[in-house]
Amino acid sequence: MLHESLWQRNQDLADQFLVHPFVHGLGDGTLDRDVFRRYVAQDAFFLRAFAKAYALAMAKCDDFPHVQEFHDLIAGVLSELTLHADYSASLDINLHDVEPLPATSTYTNFLISVAWHDSLAEIVAAMVPCLRLYAYIGMALKPSLRPGNPYQGWIETYSSDEFLQLCSKLETLLDQIGSDVASVHNAYRYALQCELDFFSAPLADRS
Amino acid sequence: MSLQEIQACSLVVAAGGRWRDGTQAEFLNAIRDGTLPQEAFQRWLVQDYYFVKGLTTFVAITIAKTPRPSQKILIAGLVALDAELDWFEQHAQQQSLDLTTAMHPICKRYVDYLVASAYTQPFEVLLAMLYGVEASYTSGWSALDAAGPYAEFIHRWSNELFVDYVGELLKTCNRHPHHSRQTQFNEVLRHECNFWRMTWEG
Repeated sequence: MLHESLWQRNQDLADQFLVHPFVHGLGDGTLDRDVFRRYVAQDAFFLRAFAKAYALAMAKCDDFPHVQEFHDLIAGVLSELTLHADYSASLDINLHDVEPLPATSTYTNFLISVAWHDSLAEIVAAMVPCLRLYAYIGMALKPSLRPGNPYQGWIETYSSDEFLQLCSKLETLLDQIGSDVASVHNAYRYALQCELDFFSAPLADRS
Repeated sequence: MSLQEIQACSLVVAAGGRWRDGTQAEFLNAIRDGTLPQEAFQRWLVQDYYFVKGLTTFVAITIAKTPRPSQKILIAGLVALDAELDWFEQHAQQQSLDLTTAMHPICKRYVDYLVASAYTQPFEVLLAMLYGVEASYTSGWSALDAAGPYAEFIHRWSNELFVDYVGELLKTCNRHPHHSRQTQFNEVLRHECNFWRMTWEG
């Protein structure tokens, strides 16, 4: 399977997430609340670009059943944005006027550029890492989740059956649409690198 | 239009210190001083080639979105970019440089920004962005005397015809103002600054 092969070949990057201070802080609940607030705001900005990329991928589908798949995936992002709206109320964050950090702009410009300009296979390859990685982190953190962890909702969302099904849906599309070529691999790996920078940015930014 | 007029336009003035940051570089200083390491020059040659490939995409899309009367200068610019890609390929071949290596992350960020903008920004903003790319480049190179081992390179972006082209771009921009063009003009300068730094630092 292409999606398994890509994940395995980029395990060096994936491994870095489980020892990342942001992920570690989510896992044991010690992540600074302001860091998490910055992350949620940036993630909401990112997810709007992600939803648009799905829509552009849908527009490039020749196979109509794939249109339905992308429709379901867009619904998944919109549902995720609802979760962010809940956070915005409880954490007092304005999600409507977010100034993207450089790491966020890098990621969204890449995603939008690929979505408009490149092939369907490259678009899906650029989008799979986001879902696979969040599922990977969610599943890794769930077994050691302790009562009272303020990030319990985040961990449960990304280890839920619903989210894992969305991830599998996109990976199945990648297997059906993509092939093992350099452009697909490059898009996949670059997206993982963008994720790493995205997780680091809220820790460094103190605004 | 003279280089001085280009450098005194409202977009440049409003950019403030960003203009200086996007047009002055250690890389250019080292060319002037005759101290540029070959490694830095070759890095610039390869990455600038990748950048011009991305800029060609940007200009092609911009042409498609721009009304007919203002397309002429853009189409002429696109033809010049084709010749420029040939020119880069010849130089790379002469120096046995591989033009299939990975794009530097700084260059990729700049190109992704341009291509994403080409599809999503209105043409008036794209014109200001193109002007930012070309005006900053001619300003940077024009600060050097076209002499020494890099005379051909300095001359390429400081010659009268290139300055005229940039002047025409400015006139085209001024015919199509837009409330958000300054923001993206400034963003181009930020990428220019990062690009120059990359050519020097690796």
